[in-house]
Amino acid sequence: MATVPPAESPVREVQLSALVVMRLIKHSTQVWPQPATGCLVGMDVGAQLQITNSFPFPASNPDNTTGNPNATNPADPYHQADQLALALAAPRAKSSVAYQNEMIKYLREVNVDAQGVGWYVSCSMGNFVNASFVENQAFYQRATGEQTVALVFDVGRSSQGSFNLKAYRLSPSFMAACKENKFTTESIQKSNLRYQDILIELPVAIHNSHLLTSYLHQLPTSPTADTDLALPASLNELHRNPHLASNPLAPNLDNLDLSIDPFLEKTVDQLLDSIEAHQTEQNNAQYYQRSLAREQAKIQTWQLKRKQENALRVQQKQTPLPEDEWQKLFKLPVEPSRLEAMLVGRQVEQYARQIDGFGAVVSGKMFGVRGNLLPGEAA
Amino acid sequence: MGDSHNYLHLARPLAPAPIATSQSSVTAPVSVTLQPQALFSIIDHASRRPADQERVIGTLLGTRSEDGTEVSVTNCYAVPHTETAEQVEMDMDYQKRMLDLHLRAAPKEVLNFYSQQGEGTFPHPAVHLTVSTVAGQDVEANTYISAPIGVTAERAADSCLFIPVPHEIKYDEASKSGLELIAGARDRDDRTQLMQTDLETLERAIEQVLEMLERVSNYVSDVLDEEQQSSTALGQFLLNTLALAPKVDAEDIERDFNNHIQDVLLVSYLANTIRTQIDLSNRLATAAITMGGDTNVASSGGDQQKQQSGERGGERGGQRREGGGGQQQRSGQAGPGGRRGEQ
Repeated sequence: MATVPPAESPVREVQLSALVVMRLIKHSTQVWPQPATGCLVGMDVGAQLQITNSFPFPASNPDNTTGNPNATNPADPYHQADQLALALAAPRAKSSVAYQNEMIKYLREVNVDAQGVGWYVSCSMGNFVNASFVENQAFYQRATGEQTVALVFDVGRSSQGSFNLKAYRLSPSFMAACKENKFTTESIQKSNLRYQDILIELPVAIHNSHLLTSYLHQLPTSPTADTDLALPASLNELHRNPHLASNPLAPNLDNLDLSIDPFLEKTVDQLLDSIEAHQTEQNNAQYYQRSLAREQAKIQTWQLKRKQENALRVQQKQTPLPEDEWQKLFKLPVEPSRLEAMLVGRQVEQYARQIDGFGAVVSGKMFGVRGNLLPGEAA
Repeated sequence: MGDSHNYLHLARPLAPAPIATSQSSVTAPVSVTLQPQALFSIIDHASRRPADQERVIGTLLGTRSEDGTEVSVTNCYAVPHTETAEQVEMDMDYQKRMLDLHLRAAPKEVLNFYSQQGEGTFPHPAVHLTVSTVAGQDVEANTYISAPIGVTAERAADSCLFIPVPHEIKYDEASKSGLELIAGARDRDDRTQLMQTDLETLERAIEQVLEMLERVSNYVSDVLDEEQQSSTALGQFLLNTLALAPKVDAEDIERDFNNHIQDVLLVSYLANTIRTQIDLSNRLATAAITMGGDTNVASSGGDQQKQQSGERGGERGGQRREGGGGQQQRSGQAGPGGRRGEQ
């Protein structure tokens, strides 16, 4: 499987082990609201990528004074003063790659699959589409040329009751554009790249080992409809019954909670952020166009002057001056990359999809609640 | 698993042993809390062990409370070991190295593991956890703490006696949703479970509630028909629960309902509008380049105008940065609203 050409999309499905799920949740909720990044190890079996273990990346902390050898060195090409950006850039930092190699080496000794198959990141309410994410995934997909995947765990939405984990890869057309690293208007026109094409989402399944399954069967679930259960003698006894009080597999009814406003507020906040980012990009593009127009105007006048001078010199029987010196005299401005604009588009699409999904669920709940509180109305 | 009410802690009644000079003033941990991910990790390692070994040994990482009475195990990793008939040897080098790596990633976690010399957990006694994974029987976890034992002082530093301590497996809020999904896979043959969409989880939750309601109503009707014994505790509990239903006017409900539905629809519409606007502006920017420089400035200024009229439906009235060139061409058509302060 090592020589699969990168042009195909060899991974069609992702299978996680329960261990990875728990570790992801743990790490993400621990360092919230910072994004948590880490590495995934596993194996690829045909078109299915099996992920069996994971470990977090150490985030180099510029304020760290304990003599940590990981402390940021300004000479390091990935030195970033902002800690948030640092955490996001961790998967592709040199120190993290070394860390990852060492971890994998040690894990191999205890029979854990020793193949890096991707990385994970945690986000809040779907705000993961940014340049850092794309660069990380490009780094992984480019470096090994193998099947690697990015897992995104949404802390904000999972805390509302429904577990939210998605797997993404970069599309081959986007990878090709990344290779040239040019995102100017001409290259985009040629490749016809739209923001919807950047990411491919893959279906995720969870897989348990036998041992784990037997352990899960052992955990108490909601008590069966067994009429031999003794009736409780007092209210207190009901409250103190350990089966009922702390039952890990009791049906999790958090997602029946009807909380609309916080979700809407957060989403709207993030939409505003995206709009600001888009504005910035627009301003940059317009600035470029204006300076380009200015330079071109200057070039035009210069060329005109040259022509007149040459006409004069021809009259005076002198050699005409070269007309293409303007290329050396005037420097055209460089067009800014359009990647950020496309990412903003993709991010807004992500928010829109989330809101639609949320709307569907919440409308169902609302109608249910209304039907209950207004008796006599046909639901 | 560790019924903590009726437990006799063997170490506590003992006076601190005067044997070791430096370890005498230590209070032993009274209880241990396990996090599910550590347990899952151990189970996973157990299923990966080489065929000839009967067990796996590893290191636990976690945090200790202020006075040392509560220990919480949050992480662990396996260490390779070799077994002979008499003793079990561990690869200490590996252990140190892995500890180093783990501490780099999570500097707050503290070593909690038993080792032969007692070093590494000094000055606190080490915590030991065993998980029995015999096929066919229950998976049982037991925790112990080490206590010095020995005839003389030097012998005491070398050997340890393990005293069982009560433990508890705590599932915190965030893990519950993940756990539910994992547990959903246990009833299937291939032990796999696809990720579920929000609607599916909602459907399942509603089904569960309906089932519970059905059971309760069956019980109540049985009691009324005198087929079942009644219980005042249950009756009281049901009364308390039913009293939680709010008593609100019908108009208030209608009004709140309409408001909320409208909020959701509004934001959904807004998000889709913004998406369309951004898509449009991106396409215009990349497509218009063929029409030449001036037209380009005009068209991108045009979509700037369009985009800002879309924003006017937005929330905060904060200052939006105005676009440059395009605005100057359209300064006459400021449009409704007093937001165009600058010309």
